[in-house]
Amino acid sequence: MATREELGEFLASAERRAYKQALFALRDEDNALDVVQDAMLKLAEHYSDRPAQELAPLFTRILQNSIHDFFRRQKVRSTWVTLLSAFSGNQDSEEDPLETLEAAEGTQAAESAADQAERSQIVAIIEEEIANLPARQRQAFLLRYWEDLDVAETAAEMGCSEGSVKTHCSRATHALAQALLARGITL
Amino acid sequence: MNEVEFAYRVRQALNEGTDQLPYRVLLRLEQARRTALARHKVGLERPLWIPALRFSTGWGGLAAVDQTAPAWRWIRRLGLVVPIVTLAVGFVGIYRWHEDQAVAEHANMDLAVLLDDTPIDTYADKGFGVMIRDEQGI
Repeated sequence: MATREELGEFLASAERRAYKQALFALRDEDNALDVVQDAMLKLAEHYSDRPAQELAPLFTRILQNSIHDFFRRQKVRSTWVTLLSAFSGNQDSEEDPLETLEAAEGTQAAESAADQAERSQIVAIIEEEIANLPARQRQAFLLRYWEDLDVAETAAEMGCSEGSVKTHCSRATHALAQALLARGITL
Repeated sequence: MNEVEFAYRVRQALNEGTDQLPYRVLLRLEQARRTALARHKVGLERPLWIPALRFSTGWGGLAAVDQTAPAWRWIRRLGLVVPIVTLAVGFVGIYRWHEDQAVAEHANMDLAVLLDDTPIDTYADKGFGVMIRDEQGI
């Protein structure tokens, strides 16, 4: 059983990467923080009796599931909003979630590019391009190369074949390299 | 540059990115971590299951349960299984013996009725069956 200290150390070591992964997927700071907090609570409540070595793969899975759950809830909410807005006469006062999303994304990118030093700018651009990757490619790339999962583990996490993982990773790498090259960045 | 090298450099950049998170985000993450730790299952140790009829190794103590050699575990399991099997065989034997006794008793009554030594009403009288059994020394 993982002790409180072990759990604390693990969460402290994993929370920033978890937040970034959630941010890449959700593109909203507050939602990403909510998802990470949700994942942390689930880990502590349901899996803290597991050995400390199992915390990392469990947390990765919980985080990925939490991100999927968020999208699922958002889809259901969007469906209801669309249905209800069809009965509403006043369309001007409606807030378009897409407008909010785009504004938030633009603001974050602009702040990163304007306020950071050169290296920070490059990091921000890389993060931006990773966020722009198709969801499955990004997920495969991050799990494989950032979370250090092997091909089989990544495939199990994504619910696809190992061949698909290799394809996603390869495409993500090429797409990322081309996107960075187009912005004048070579790694 | 191959895929792995490129990915390694991207990974370095991503790690740098995690060091540059805004203070607001770091604060929220720390709060989330504290909330999660507050819900840690404190003191809820997983129960240690020990069979009630555990075969004693002679060295005793709960600490020896998971530290014994596989051979001892088998002996311990055998010590649990043998009494159960013996008990089951005993039950079956008693049942069969009792069944044979009942069959013999009914056979004697049937014989007595067939030879007209006794009326058919004998079947309704339990005491008569006992008398015949006692007479024939069963």
